[in-house]
Amino acid sequence: MPIEISWRRTGATAGGRTVLTGNGPFRMGRSSGNDVALDHPQVSRFHAEVRLDGGRVTIIDQKSQNGTLIAGNRITSAQWREGDDLAIGPFILEYRQTRTAGARDANDPDLQATVLGQADAPRDGPRDARQPAPRDDGSSRFPGPVFNTRIVALRDLQATQKIAEEVDYLTVGGGIGSFCWVDHLRVFGVPTSAIRVIGVAPDRKPYAKWGRLCRNSQIPDTERIRSNSISTPDNIWGFPGYASREFVRDILNGRLVGLKYLLQVFGEPAITESYTPRTGDVYRSFDTEATRIGWDQMWRLGQVVGIRKTDDERFVIAYRMLSTQVGANETADERSQRERFIIARHIHISTGYPASNYLPDLQSFRQKHPNSHAVVNAYEEHDEIYRSLEQKGGTILIRGRGIVASRVIQRVWEARKVNKSIRLLHLVRAPVGAGHKYDLAQRTVRSDVEQQPFNWPKACWGGTLRKQLEAATPEERARLLAAWDGTTTADRDDWNQIIEEGTRDGWYKVSVGNVAAIAEKSGKLVTRLESRDRQENVDLTADFIVDCTGLIARLDETPLIADLIRTYDLPRNRAGATGSEQSLAGLAVANSFEIPGLQNGRGRAFAAGVVASRGPYAAVDSFLGLQYAALRSVDQLAALKAPSVSRFGPFRSAYQWAKWCVGSPP
Amino acid sequence: MTPTLIGRWHTRLILFALIGLPVTLLFALHATNWDYWPPRYDLPAFQYPFYFLTAIVLLGLVLDMAYMQIQRFHWDQDWPFAYQFFFSIVEYLIVYYAVWDGWLDFIFTEFRPTWNDTVYHFSTVFTLSFLALLGGVQIFFIRWRFKGGEFGRL
Repeated sequence: MPIEISWRRTGATAGGRTVLTGNGPFRMGRSSGNDVALDHPQVSRFHAEVRLDGGRVTIIDQKSQNGTLIAGNRITSAQWREGDDLAIGPFILEYRQTRTAGARDANDPDLQATVLGQADAPRDGPRDARQPAPRDDGSSRFPGPVFNTRIVALRDLQATQKIAEEVDYLTVGGGIGSFCWVDHLRVFGVPTSAIRVIGVAPDRKPYAKWGRLCRNSQIPDTERIRSNSISTPDNIWGFPGYASREFVRDILNGRLVGLKYLLQVFGEPAITESYTPRTGDVYRSFDTEATRIGWDQMWRLGQVVGIRKTDDERFVIAYRMLSTQVGANETADERSQRERFIIARHIHISTGYPASNYLPDLQSFRQKHPNSHAVVNAYEEHDEIYRSLEQKGGTILIRGRGIVASRVIQRVWEARKVNKSIRLLHLVRAPVGAGHKYDLAQRTVRSDVEQQPFNWPKACWGGTLRKQLEAATPEERARLLAAWDGTTTADRDDWNQIIEEGTRDGWYKVSVGNVAAIAEKSGKLVTRLESRDRQENVDLTADFIVDCTGLIARLDETPLIADLIRTYDLPRNRAGATGSEQSLAGLAVANSFEIPGLQNGRGRAFAAGVVASRGPYAAVDSFLGLQYAALRSVDQLAALKAPSVSRFGPFRSAYQWAKWCVGSPP
Repeated sequence: MTPTLIGRWHTRLILFALIGLPVTLLFALHATNWDYWPPRYDLPAFQYPFYFLTAIVLLGLVLDMAYMQIQRFHWDQDWPFAYQFFFSIVEYLIVYYAVWDGWLDFIFTEFRPTWNDTVYHFSTVFTLSFLALLGGVQIFFIRWRFKGGEFGRL
């Protein structure tokens, strides 16, 4: 019987499909000659084989470098059951017998011919939490028909005998947003037994994904991130900040340079360059606080596949436990045992960025040249490019002008210390001209980039602009956000000097223009710019192209969220302009970050991070913004008299702070 | 810092109440040679430190409106600690000058406080208040930093 295989990248909704007829064997892999061609560096040329035998589909891994996974388990040869996810590199594949492929597909808007980058696909271990949402056609896929309703009956859930736990508080995501929420809950008085965290990082680190993005975008542990001293996700008070901690450590080690950090905090940003903490220090502070609050005890390694309201004013979360213990030939029973429900009264959703986009011209180039590793997104692992530049020299072209571009330029500058024959072309779409204006102020521009210490004006976190945005109507919010938004980088002396030095010495050159086409010519990448003012075409020739245009927060590319939006008709925030920008707007949330559309009597749901973007708070995707969201939602829980959550007045606050200082559990 | 106007007023008044007044009490007792208990509220030497600090706070409440206008010229709408430091000293110097020049003789009827009478008093209040702004307040009031210096719930 013919089968239809469909695939998409992790986190993306777009993908492709093909129908296989006959018994095979069929080939899957990176080369375009395969029956199922999956273009990505993590996919081997001939990655796996598909055999059809009656109703049975068998997958045989062809000793691929990164492996083939069925339902989260690495296999060499295994049966692929309908409803199971097959993972190859960043792609998730599923199949169905074609007789069941019906009218639903015709109006399935998800399957289009665009492919997206996988900002969040782990290099190893289980793939990320985002995976196709539960079907609404009652297929065999977990959680199955019990979720085909807006309100799930508790009795139906009990009948499945899959209810693993029932708790008061549960957070989905397991990243930094979840961590801040749980940290607040714990410090406000909630015991570990009442909290559960579901996440996909095998090492349980709240910063697993963030750290991966940092490393890929060339921020090593010793480098500083764009965050302020008092943005301390390990400490709900913001005191002591990272600057004072670094100061104390340096002074104790006899290094007077530590004084500089205090002076930075004193004068920033008007007089001194803003203080920013080192990535490694941030990682370590997370680890310390995670131990203090018992993070590991609350952690459950799993992929959340669906969330529903229950008929007893709670929520049910369907998830599939991830395990590295499970063998390749897992039986249906064993697999079924990994599928669980958790029931919770108060839930929190912080699933983060679903994907990173490629610029359209780079995307079409990658589709045409599946074997080329020379075109990458800065958030993908691409250290190989710098190693190659250091060894052989060459030209690298950078697209985009934000903070990631700055860091990549710095990395190229470091590579030039090894090999002086490296050149850098920086391509931007349009000159910046004057900076954004708001009220009586204007953002400064230097080296054709708008400069700002952090990714929003500082008063968005806790000043006049925060207050103003919160009080504004949705229309006003869209206008305000548009005024404050925009691509910026930090005014760092070292970065300014690199640009000046590179311009002077001729290895750094900025070009402005729209790309007409990219072609491969005798091993080089030639970017042709659209001619302007009837002048001659400009060709930029490079060995590598790095797309630094950043992460795109398209909410509907997280299937779990897309399913919630569909099921409960959840409204979105207003993004400003219409069209593509609207897809960047988060779920409409109250000022407390509660999702009103998910309220289920006493059951309440909260959001944090990009899931809530473009709502009452601008800087949702920052450490301090996540702490703010956590504080607002936990304060709301206290107001609702949720179990064990105190009002957290001054005395309790000071007492808990003292406990933090001595490292004793809350 | 990214204060709002209400936040500036809240913070100024609360630091005045919790740090300024207790410290001033000590200086007032000191000014009366620690001779009297209960304190001699009627003695000018006891009263004047309170008057002096109150004058600075009242001036500050007015200047806060001007500071907010300066903030509007900052893209970040922020108020660096350095500015806070600098303008606090300016406020002291203005009030000191006003006393010295006799503008406030209607308050300081018996004598004009001297530089030595005021500088240690002000320095102590200022140092403790500034340290509170750097972190002390947050230990007790975690919502304060998100409210631009206002107290209360978010």
